[in-house]
Amino acid sequence: MRVMVFVKATGDSEKGAPPTPEAMKAMGRFNAELHNAGILLMAEGLQPTSKAKRVAFEGPGRMVIDGPFAETRELVAGFWLWEVKDMDEAVAWVKRCPNPMPGPSEIEIRPLFEMAEIEAWLPPEVLEKGADRVQRWEALHAQEAAAAKTTALDVDL
Amino acid sequence: MRVMVIVKATEDTEKGIPPTPEAMEAMHRYGEAVAAAGIALVDGAGLLNSSQGKRIAFDGAKVTVIDGPFAETRELIAGYSVWEVKNMEEALAWAKRWPNPPSGQSEIEIRPLFEWQPTDETFAERVL
Repeated sequence: MRVMVFVKATGDSEKGAPPTPEAMKAMGRFNAELHNAGILLMAEGLQPTSKAKRVAFEGPGRMVIDGPFAETRELVAGFWLWEVKDMDEAVAWVKRCPNPMPGPSEIEIRPLFEMAEIEAWLPPEVLEKGADRVQRWEALHAQEAAAAKTTALDVDL
Repeated sequence: MRVMVIVKATEDTEKGIPPTPEAMEAMHRYGEAVAAAGIALVDGAGLLNSSQGKRIAFDGAKVTVIDGPFAETRELIAGYSVWEVKNMEEALAWAKRWPNPPSGQSEIEIRPLFEWQPTDETFAERVL
């Protein structure tokens, strides 16, 4: 199963404070372990919400709201995409993660919908119309999975 | 530049109410239009509701696991796409066209990703 693993923002990340070299090294080692275990599909950092926008939808209305956004602890500062056996494996890996922030912080693990679940929602005629898109979607995720299975890296960090 | 387009949760998504076939079709048409406009879809998926999620809180040496569901519905994430776009204006213009149920309320957040230089580094070099 695939899971999104969100690193939640803190006051430090929202200020754009860069991590210390020690924190970078610790996270580099953790990423190497994830990669070598074949579970790492993506890893990205998000710029602080001062660079972000929101679009609020209400019926046909669209309102654009400029960042920064107030509720810091609910914002996302970064994410991984992992391929794991089950939620227990994901939780075990997150518990081993170096604290991603200088102070208290939080990581959220969220399972993704897989194609089988989406197909179960859809009448066959809609599925048929979207068949080429489904194929592209599956190809995209096959590429990700292949990238995760590349040769193990011998990293000495 | 790459942006993460975050679709925030609503009461319906948190209840696990599946989209209607009409909404799925509208989403399909929208995906086609975005692709036709030359925006590369780097990744994208929907998330199961937060009752299936877990949080891990770090405080010094203490690590605590918290089971979903989580309360602050409108701050939760229901789905995401990662797009390669020219600039924020282009991302914003397309986010505004995201199909929304005619009477519904929802929110999308657009977040630029940190870019890594040089851009031709392999995935492994970037994350290690």
